[in-house]
Amino acid sequence: MDIYLPIAEVSVNWPLLVLLGAAVGFVSGLFGIGGGFLMAPILIFLGIPPSVAVASQASHVVASSTSGVISYAGQKAIDFRIGAVMAGGGILGALLGVELFRYLRLLGQADLAVALSYLLFLGAIGVLMLYESLGQILRRVRGEVTPHKERRRPLWLYGLPLRMRFPRSGLYISAIPPFALGTFAGVLSAIMGVGGGFILVPAMLYILRMKAGVVVGTSLFQIIVTTAMTTILQAGRNQTVDIVLSTILLLGGVVGAQYGARLSGRFRAEELRAVLGLIVLLVGIQMGLELFVRPSELFALAPGAVD
Amino acid sequence: MQVLPPPPPAVTAPAPDRSASTVDEVRVAAALTDARVMVDSGFRGASIVLYGAVFNPSDTPADVVVVVRGPDAPVRLVKKTRNMGVWLNSRPVLFEGAPGFYMTASTRPLGDIAEFGQLRRLGVGLDHLRINAPEESRTVTRYGVKDVVVSRLGEDYLDWRRAVIRLREAAALYNGDPDGVEFVDEGLFRAEVELPTVAPTGKYFAEVWLFQEGEPVSVSNLTLTVEKVGLERDIYEFAHRRPWSYGILCVVLAAFTGWGASRVFRRE
Repeated sequence: MDIYLPIAEVSVNWPLLVLLGAAVGFVSGLFGIGGGFLMAPILIFLGIPPSVAVASQASHVVASSTSGVISYAGQKAIDFRIGAVMAGGGILGALLGVELFRYLRLLGQADLAVALSYLLFLGAIGVLMLYESLGQILRRVRGEVTPHKERRRPLWLYGLPLRMRFPRSGLYISAIPPFALGTFAGVLSAIMGVGGGFILVPAMLYILRMKAGVVVGTSLFQIIVTTAMTTILQAGRNQTVDIVLSTILLLGGVVGAQYGARLSGRFRAEELRAVLGLIVLLVGIQMGLELFVRPSELFALAPGAVD
Repeated sequence: MQVLPPPPPAVTAPAPDRSASTVDEVRVAAALTDARVMVDSGFRGASIVLYGAVFNPSDTPADVVVVVRGPDAPVRLVKKTRNMGVWLNSRPVLFEGAPGFYMTASTRPLGDIAEFGQLRRLGVGLDHLRINAPEESRTVTRYGVKDVVVSRLGEDYLDWRRAVIRLREAAALYNGDPDGVEFVDEGLFRAEVELPTVAPTGKYFAEVWLFQEGEPVSVSNLTLTVEKVGLERDIYEFAHRRPWSYGILCVVLAAFTGWGASRVFRRE
């Protein structure tokens, strides 16, 4: 049941990969996320070279986000105007990120960059999500009323030029913050192989203060454009996209995502967020742990020798 | 990324000694069961048998040593060092060329067959593998000895070299088996060449040495080709020759799969 991956140049058990794709797809459908942050560490654990894992799963994120975007578009829950601005930033970020990743790989510091980004971003987001959702659950159990949050954007958002109207999001703000946010997610997508939804969604909700109904759909739209760009750039610049690997992951992934999405309606939003926060935090810690534990092998082969 | 197979390693072995008075010379002949290894979707490594015969009319016992080298490629190695409690990679060190695959099989431990100097000269054995010194190396005269290779690795050079071998051994790419050559009959021997899945593609060179009293008396050279075939090769070549079209194809395929899945599931 093994299959040889032509680009990764390793042989893997394909039913295991289909199951892995389905499991990650299920999680991504359940929580409305891309699931890239889960996929990359598991692929690396299975012995797939990190550069191939990060690049190949970007196309997996394209597929799972596409089916998400289609269903959100049907519900008219996407603001394509602000999504286009963010996607423009995402393309710039992907360009920067792929070049940065290439440079770090040549320096032998790609591992460090990946581990640090996982530890910092996933750790921080995980803690925030846990704190916020546990607080909400506690208040509900105690029967307290959730304090009404002030829907006020930070004042600096108004001081910037290039203001645009985004009627669906209920915004009239400068195009710079969404563009910058997209750029940041683009860089992350190249380095961590993630869509960046775990950064985008909270930032769109709490910083830009977009209407909650359009946040997830719009972020998925931005993620498709960014990860599509990342995939093309990784293939073109680094030749690290394994089409066989990504196709196998897709088969399980799309099915898992649909079942996850169906099940998500049965849980309360804050409970889902608490579980997701815990998963995010654990993955971040697990990936960051290698920075602090004495490695059993002090030497490692660095990729990029043949470049 | 694909580099042309490098030329065979320069084996500076002298021609086997053959004195004019010996009518019946000591010789070794060998062949491989399979000179082409095809890597396709079912590839899970390959096991090739090398078999051969020893013609030994003399009374002196002879030892057989089989050496198989894969294509040379540069190796970049980093070492983790602890800085302020955090394990970080050092700057990578480039070894200009190390065989992508290397194995020896012999009738006895190599150290018993020939002397250190002899093995080093022939490049036989993992300890004597030619791994070119890192790029920053220069030669100086030290302790009165000329042409000592020093690099910025300094004293650690051996550690780094050993690490290359250890990492490759862990991946089953380097292997030294002291009982790998098995005599099945008088003068007839066989040895197995185990290629792991990660074995690089390209041209492999096999040498079969015959040693008598620590001296090489005969050698037989064989080649072996490992190549990707079928769909695997097509994908690999497409990805490397037309990388941008390949990337676009990947994205289109992914988007189409996502779209298809949402159609299928909506109808149900």
